[in-house]
Amino acid sequence: MYFAGVDIGSTMTKVVLMDADGTILSTIKGPTGPEHRQLANEVMRMALEQAKVPLKEVAYIVATGYGRLNVPFADRQITELSCHARGVYSLFPNVRIAIDIGGQDAKCMKINNGKLVDFVMNDKCAAGTGRFLEVIAATLGIKLEDLGALSSKSTKRISISNVCTIFAQQEIVARLSEGEKAEDIIAGMHEALASRVATLARRFKVEPDVVLTGGVAKNSGMVNAMRENLGCEILVPPDPLITGAMGAAILAQETYMKATAEGETIQTKPRRLEKAKFFTQ
Amino acid sequence: MSWFMGIDIGAAYSKGVIIQDSELAAYHVILSGANYRTAAETIRHELLKQLKLSQDAIDDTAATGTGGINVAFASQQVSDIVCTARGMNTVFPAARTVIDVAAQSTKVIRIDAQGLVTNFTVSEKCAAGSGRFIEVMANVLRIDLKDFGPLSLKSGNPVSFSTGCAVFGESEAITRVSEGIPKEDIAAGVNKALAGKVSSLVKKIKLEEPCAICGGGALNIGLVKAAEQEMNVHLLLPPQPQIITALGAAITARTSNSNM
Repeated sequence: MYFAGVDIGSTMTKVVLMDADGTILSTIKGPTGPEHRQLANEVMRMALEQAKVPLKEVAYIVATGYGRLNVPFADRQITELSCHARGVYSLFPNVRIAIDIGGQDAKCMKINNGKLVDFVMNDKCAAGTGRFLEVIAATLGIKLEDLGALSSKSTKRISISNVCTIFAQQEIVARLSEGEKAEDIIAGMHEALASRVATLARRFKVEPDVVLTGGVAKNSGMVNAMRENLGCEILVPPDPLITGAMGAAILAQETYMKATAEGETIQTKPRRLEKAKFFTQ
Repeated sequence: MSWFMGIDIGAAYSKGVIIQDSELAAYHVILSGANYRTAAETIRHELLKQLKLSQDAIDDTAATGTGGINVAFASQQVSDIVCTARGMNTVFPAARTVIDVAAQSTKVIRIDAQGLVTNFTVSEKCAAGSGRFIEVMANVLRIDLKDFGPLSLKSGNPVSFSTGCAVFGESEAITRVSEGIPKEDIAAGVNKALAGKVSSLVKKIKLEEPCAICGGGALNIGLVKAAEQEMNVHLLLPPQPQIITALGAAITARTSNSNM
């Protein structure tokens, strides 16, 4: 018996396939993107192939994330906040504050004994999300995955006075033409984004364990900047992208087990992989 | 016959005017570029050339704007708010509220019958509330800025943006283009969104009519009409909205010298 969690983020789609003991058998990540809107079925197929598990043996599937309402093969949709909280808790049982910095939003979750008790989110302003780093990296002609390593070479932090991503981009071009180094600018950008996300987190009492997830958590420069700004240790899972999908898979199992124990009929969707119809704005 | 010059060095564009007594005699607009000092010199040179005047013919020059301090030949720096108010007061003496949509900011200014500023508010932190928003979208649609307004007027079905952010909005616009949504509908939606931001800013200050609009953003006729619809007011539009602030600087130069 297997369980699956599908997390369709604005930038990346993630699938986690789990067995009944909670062992992760396969994880797949792929870009959601406007041209890849129908990726969920492909990503699911790859996860099943990798684990050599036939779809019909997956007992329950939970979808989460931005595109969760449009996954035809998901049995249930659960909000990403609940899934992230559950996923983080399974990795770090003492988590109190979980921060997720995604491609288009940043969320801070307050967790008590594994339960999500409060949250705050920014999905309005790109400057407080992973998008900020994406735009700046593109301006500097640098790959996202190289930002962390480059920032460690910085000898001084360049402060940019503009918060807005677009205005900051202009300022950076000016700084570059004045001879400032890319690594120093990146260090400044990490500090700026960390400061904005930390402001969100400070709505709650920031106490250990503090966990950072999302694509941005793969950037060591950002993790250090968050550490510095919050003044505490920041824990990062080995794969920071999959906590939502992991939580979804765990919740899939819990939903199924609970229904079975209570003798309820479990409603599931047909076990065939159809293309997801992503809603347009 | 006295000549006065006003130079407004903005984040994106630099504007200059020469007035003769109280009449506008010449104006010029260029991209500011990276060197504000050079921009100021270029404008001065061009203005003098237009009127076949020598540098000595100019009685006085005042400068304003983000880069005003770089106008080496100006004898005074004046606040852009004051210049915009003065300039608009000359063109539309009845105007009591002025909206200035610039490249990186939007300002709303209340003025009294004498053209004195009584209140103002500025939005300069967010690209989505400024002319920059239009520039970004013109790029997405692959059209010239000057064609944005006329194109948007052709739409009967403006696109609705779910985001208030220029970065996220750009992605949304790109998606709309890839879905085959007509460019005029996207352009109209963009103007509507910016008009909404302008309207929110105006609400921070009690609007008193007549209300006028200026700044480079006012060259976008679609934006002006969308703002009129959002706010349900008629907007007075000067023939050269982009130079109103520079005009106010020139007038300030003249006023300072009339007492000498």
